[in-house]
Parts: sequence; C-alpha cells; structure tokens
Amino acid sequence: MTQSGTEEPLADSRNVPALLSALRDRARSCTVRVTGAPGGSIHVRDGLVVAMETPGAPGIEGLLLRSGRISEEAWSEVRASDTTHEHLAAELVARGLVGAGELEVISLGALFDAAFALSLAVPDTWEVADPVPALHRNAGVTPERLLDEVSRRINLLAGEPGSAAALARTRLRSVPTAGLPGTAAGLPARHQQVLAHTDGRGTARDIAFALGRGLFAVMMDLRHLLDRGLVQPHTSSAGIRPSTATRGAPTAPPSTASSAAPRPVTLPRREPGRNSAPEPRPHD
Amino acid sequence: MSSLDVVLGRALTVPGISGAVLLDAVTGLTYAESGDVSGSQDSCEIAEIARTRLTRAGASGELESVVVTTSTRHLVTLQLPRRGDPLLLCATVDRERTNLTWALRELHQHADELLA
Repeated sequence: MTQSGTEEPLADSRNVPALLSALRDRARSCTVRVTGAPGGSIHVRDGLVVAMETPGAPGIEGLLLRSGRISEEAWSEVRASDTTHEHLAAELVARGLVGAGELEVISLGALFDAAFALSLAVPDTWEVADPVPALHRNAGVTPERLLDEVSRRINLLAGEPGSAAALARTRLRSVPTAGLPGTAAGLPARHQQVLAHTDGRGTARDIAFALGRGLFAVMMDLRHLLDRGLVQPHTSSAGIRPSTATRGAPTAPPSTASSAAPRPVTLPRREPGRNSAPEPRPHD
Repeated sequence: MSSLDVVLGRALTVPGISGAVLLDAVTGLTYAESGDVSGSQDSCEIAEIARTRLTRAGASGELESVVVTTSTRHLVTLQLPRRGDPLLLCATVDRERTNLTWALRELHQHADELLA
C-alpha cells in the first residue's frame, strides 16, 4: 500500500473503506487506485465518492453504449470535443444524447455497481493519487452509504451456491427443460434475456457486459432463475460427457492357439469376368 | 442539488404528497428522495411481488402502478419504463388532503420530467 500527494499521509487507511472515510473527513479530492482482481479506480471529490471504474462491472460508457442509448459515433464525437474529459457528462446532456436525470441515474447506478464488484474480492494494494477526470453526473456519495448499500446487496444474494462472490464466479447454464414451450413464458422480458445468455461459458459479469446492465442487477436475476430451477451451475464437460470407451471385458492378448482366434476379415476383391454390365435387353 | 432532487422537490409542492423517492426497480437502489419516505421503504419488494405474481398468474403486459391504501394515506408506486431496467417513483399521499386520481395525474407529470 502506498500513498502519494502533497498532504500529510493518511494514518487510518488499513483498508479501502477506512481510507475513504479518512478522505471524507479531510474533504480530499483524489483518485484511489486499487490493484487486485478486479481492481479499479475510485474518484473522490471533496471527500465524496463520485465515480468508480473497474473491469469487474460495466461503467457508464459501457452502459450507455451496450444498451444502445447512444451510438459509437456519437460517443466518439463527444470524446473528441472534450479532450480533457472533464466535461463529458455536460457535453452528453448538451447534445441531447441523454437526459440529465437519466445520466444521473446511470452514473449513480454504475458507481454502486462498481463498489459492489470491488467488494467481491480483497484488494492487493491501493494508493492515493492526484485526481483524474472521470465521467460522472452526481453530487457524490458518502463512504458510509456506499458501505451500507454494498452490505445490503451481499445479504440479498446470500444462498446457494454460496456467497455473492461465489455466485459471481459461477458459470451458469440453463437447464434442458428451460427451452420447452411455456416454461419461460411466465418470466419478465429481462429474465428471459438473462436466461438466453446462460450458456455455461460466461459469468454474471460477462452477461452484464453483454447486455449493458449492472452486475448486481444481473446477479439478482440469476438468483431468481436459480430459485426457479431454470439455471444450474455449469460443470466441466469432462464430467458429464458420456464415455465412448469400449464396453465389456478388456481384450485378451492373442492366444497361441490359432484355432481360437477369429478369422481375419478381408475386403471383397473384384474378379475379372464378374460384376460386368448386364447384356442389353431387346426392349431397351 | 441534483436534477433528480429538484424534480422530486417539485412533486412535494403538490397538496397531499408528503414524500417521494426514486428507486431502481431491480436493485432497489435509492437514486433520490425528498420529504417523508418512511412508508416507501418496501416499495421495491412490493412491486416485485406484484410483478412476478401477476405474470405467473397469466397477466400480460408490464406492471404500471401499485397503490397500497391505509386508513390515512395511499402509498403510490409508479413504474417508469426506460431503456434498461425500469425505475420506481414512490409517493406518500395524504388521503385527507387530496384524492388518488389527482395525485396520480400530478405524479405522472413529474415522472415525465425526471429522466428528461
């Protein structure tokens, strides 16, 4: 764990929540870089957390693009117009690409989702660095509220196949009967979308990125599908693949008694004068 | 003050509406709140129960609203469809100061402003 910056070192930073509380007390503006799996960046302004970025959950950009709210071209133009990336949110709203309230909802949703994703693993190291621009549109959240919300989410996901972290790691696949007519008919559209992506290859994170939805929201839907028995943890293919080995007793070594050995089967050979074309018949 | 707080604050100027909160319909996350929201704490769970049970019972279409009425107030929950997971606008309505129809009309108008 390292710290940088011109201010005095933060004494109470034994873990990331404690560090954020210390930053809140000092009303610091900085970026906390967290390493580990998944790791990420925490953007703090005047002691309040305004944004988080982590590979463990879709960020604002991913939510805007993958959900189809804005196009790649429009996003590229916005980024080109603000090379410092300090006013991306204002530019998005000013161009009418997304409403101010809508962007605020997405910004807060992505912030809490990233906090949840970061909480699923113990970070390796963290360091306080100078603030860097980050796309966000919210007034900031206290570390206490972040912690409360993360705890609520982890409690909601408790159950089979274990903790929230275990569920996040589990690759789920739909059960064979899920595809039968009428089985998934009573599901809301978002559950059916998630069900369609449970192919045993991706985790909840992969599905969240594919659909442009939050990680926790997808995990809530997966929990619902698990409870209804429509998905199940995917086991390795080696464990469920039917054996193709020869059944029965192993072949005995060749016996010296040639009479007991089966006669070798040879391919039929064509002999001259046989299998010739038939003679033409009178009516042909 | 955020744009969400501004709109929710305007909703409270409607006679009889004493509290409003904007929630995520899937995660239950509170995006903004204003006034007395003590009655709206379980709104997300109630809406989810209504949604899943109605669908399971064969009802078609998306959930639009849930109204829970006590002897003194209505707890109104409007589902706001959007691209992505829907939101819930929950409001506490005093039965002695307004009627449900008027409150619903006002809330729908503010709902349109929320995500603009």
